[in-house]
Amino acid sequence: MSADTKGWSRRRLLVASGLGVAGGSLLAAAEARARPDTERALPPGRPGQDYTPVVVPNGSKLPWKLVDGVKVFHLVAEEVEHTFAPGLQARCWGYNGRVHGPLIEAVEGDRVRFYVTNRLPAPTTVHWHGLLLPNGMDGVGGLNQRAIAPGETFQYEFTLRQSGTLMYHSHHDEMTQIALGMVGLFIVHPREAPRGPKVDRDFAFMLHEWKLDPGAKRPNPNEMTDFNLLTLNGKAFPGTAPMVVRTGQRVRIRLGNLGPMDHHPIHLHGYQFRITETDGGRVPESAQWRDTTVLVPVGSTRTVEFVADVPGDWAMHCHMTHHVMNQMGHGMPNLIGLKPEGFDEKVRALLPDYMTMGHTGMGEMEEMGMPVPANSIPMVGGQGRYGGITMGGMFTVLKVRDGLTSYNDPGWYENPSSTLSQLAERAALTRDGIDVDANPGVVDDVDA
Amino acid sequence: MKRLVWLWVLALGAGGCATMSPERGHAELGALVHERVAVSTGWERGPPANEAVREQVRALLRDGLSSEEAVRIALVNSPGLQGAYESLGISQAELVEAGLLSNPALGVSVGVPGLGVELSLVQGLFDLFVLPARRGIAQQRFDADVQRTAHEALAVVAQTREAYASVQAAQMLLRYQAQLVAVFEASAELARMQYEAGNIPELDLSILRTAWQEARVGLAREELALVQQRERMNRLLGLWGDNTEWTVGEPLPEPAGAAPEFTRLERLAMRRRLDLDAARKDVALLERSVALARSTRFIGTVDVGVGAEREGGGLRVTGPSLVLELPVFNQRQALIGGLEARQRQAERRLTQLAVDARSEVRQHGAELRTARHLVEHYAKVLLPLRRRVLEQSQLQYNAMVLSPFQLLEARRDEVRTYREYVETLRDYWTAHIALENAVGGRLTDDDTEAAR
Repeated sequence: MSADTKGWSRRRLLVASGLGVAGGSLLAAAEARARPDTERALPPGRPGQDYTPVVVPNGSKLPWKLVDGVKVFHLVAEEVEHTFAPGLQARCWGYNGRVHGPLIEAVEGDRVRFYVTNRLPAPTTVHWHGLLLPNGMDGVGGLNQRAIAPGETFQYEFTLRQSGTLMYHSHHDEMTQIALGMVGLFIVHPREAPRGPKVDRDFAFMLHEWKLDPGAKRPNPNEMTDFNLLTLNGKAFPGTAPMVVRTGQRVRIRLGNLGPMDHHPIHLHGYQFRITETDGGRVPESAQWRDTTVLVPVGSTRTVEFVADVPGDWAMHCHMTHHVMNQMGHGMPNLIGLKPEGFDEKVRALLPDYMTMGHTGMGEMEEMGMPVPANSIPMVGGQGRYGGITMGGMFTVLKVRDGLTSYNDPGWYENPSSTLSQLAERAALTRDGIDVDANPGVVDDVDA
Repeated sequence: MKRLVWLWVLALGAGGCATMSPERGHAELGALVHERVAVSTGWERGPPANEAVREQVRALLRDGLSSEEAVRIALVNSPGLQGAYESLGISQAELVEAGLLSNPALGVSVGVPGLGVELSLVQGLFDLFVLPARRGIAQQRFDADVQRTAHEALAVVAQTREAYASVQAAQMLLRYQAQLVAVFEASAELARMQYEAGNIPELDLSILRTAWQEARVGLAREELALVQQRERMNRLLGLWGDNTEWTVGEPLPEPAGAAPEFTRLERLAMRRRLDLDAARKDVALLERSVALARSTRFIGTVDVGVGAEREGGGLRVTGPSLVLELPVFNQRQALIGGLEARQRQAERRLTQLAVDARSEVRQHGAELRTARHLVEHYAKVLLPLRRRVLEQSQLQYNAMVLSPFQLLEARRDEVRTYREYVETLRDYWTAHIALENAVGGRLTDDDTEAAR
């Protein structure tokens, strides 16, 4: 949020609360900032009228009700059985039965009240990440409040004085509770429609990373480096739902990162986007860059926007190659280039099911179909229109289609044959003078 | 003269039945052994019997040797045991000797001037008095020798069974060691391929090659250990030449049936052990020897004779003679003292033997219990766990979580546990055989139950 916008909001708030007496408005603003809990909120913003609700692929939203002009929410911190992808379940910690916690959606100027019930075996708190609020509502256990003991319900209440992609998470024994999934998105829509084009599809993703050994049933919060499960809204590919968009629509993708240790360069195929928001707020148009990859640091949010004007199935994924692998072991030896045929037969005398894997890379993993430990998913693999997709983890697909009437998954994109890469025909090779057996060589780049 | 002749006949009758009968002692020994381990002994005597024994041994050695067959061979073919059987002949000779009267002495003297001839026949009568007692003692000694020899035969049975189990174990250990070598070789081979593909430095390759070559040292040791155990068998079974080519096909069996009841085993050993019985007999016969020596301490030698003398004048004189030793100086106090000391010595020896036997029973019983517990622990708990570890390792490997080296390591650990299992099983059978031997046969006092 820029300083300008903030000032504007402040003024509006003061006007609404009737405190803007003649003169000394700057002074009054300063006092209001010192005692924000005395501020009065704007009338509660309504979905569909005051804002267009975001879409949370694979996710959920936190319900609310209005009580005396205050939006009242109830978060329950508890253990959750969560499915990362078909075949991979785990006992995580989350909110209201979900991992991650449901997305909270509200409007700038709303007065919000959160009841937080702790059903965990350990104390917890909720920190409203990136929100401007009274210090006593900030939720750092021990610093701003007593931690919520198991069985207790605490109340948080404040007025939303900003808009943007924000987050919430446990701020007590963070190492354990964040690693087990106690994070969520907190979207605050602007009170007034922003200047500039309206967004048609507004997607929100929480990035996270976990260590969950194949065959285990609980993420290991003690892991510091070797994460083996990378998720978008708690799902690893092929468990991730696609983003469905009608051709020509303006798309916003909000990305929040509350994973324990790693930043994620999220890359979108087929388009250049602009980074329109950080967790500080809207980036002035003059400062927006064109990009195809946005780095989302730990503890930050980034929002990108673009017009989806080319139909197709477009990949979006973290560009760290090991972040698009599932549950791979991190002590794997380098077997590339080995020719293990005779060797395998000898070893099978000792281990009947043995087969050397990885000597041509990991791609073959996708279709090997060998038995794996219970409760585990293959390192890579989901079926695409043209075969196996050698990706896992932080990978999903943006599906852009002409003339959509529903946002249900439209299936795989059928590329017109003229725009589909295919096996080269002999006639074309001959025409273009390509000898596949020859090495075309290179032109050495030498300064004259 | 007639009376004297009658006395002769009596004396000859007393000593005359003591003739050598070599089969007797062995038949008794055979019965004692058979009663305890249900295997026949055989005493190899003379060329036709030799051929029969050789044929029997060859037949038993054919198509895989069982433990029971090995015992049967040992009992008829062990040179050491055959030598022990022969000592029964020596013992029996002593028995016969004890039943013989000392020979009469014929004296001839010629008086030169008248050419008178004097003939005398003198027989010591002391022997005649003590002969029955002495024969009784000798019989007891012989019985004790038979028991001792049977005990030796049983020891050979135990050694043979133990050697057989050791061969079985050595074969299994060798097989598992070969598997270990193959596992190490596979790791080294994989590393070689990695190295040739340029994927690892020479250090990594060398480390794995070293492990492989070290495992091969272990294999050479296991091969030698098997040869050592086989040669022990060959010695016990008296085998040489082509007969050493026997094979043992069966693996070491797992303990069968319920664990033996240990409470009565000490008493059973006291009752059944032949060496104990022999030692008891030693004590008894020394008691009798002492008693005999005491009862005859005032009787010296008595020589009775008859003399015939033809004098030069043609006069013939015939008359009895009696020479009585007067036990004035030597009343056998030295002999008696020595015998008494030997009696006490035999008692001490018996006590020591009994204490040892009881202790052996307790020790081998404890070894058996522990080994059995461990064998069951391996069979029911550890080995299934190792198999599970390997299965899960294979799954984790399939998911590319574990490396092939780690998978091979899991296999290696499984083989090592199998080797420990074989060693424990061998300990079990060693203890079982030692306990049987300590008890003097099988581990129950139910005589109808066949030996293992």
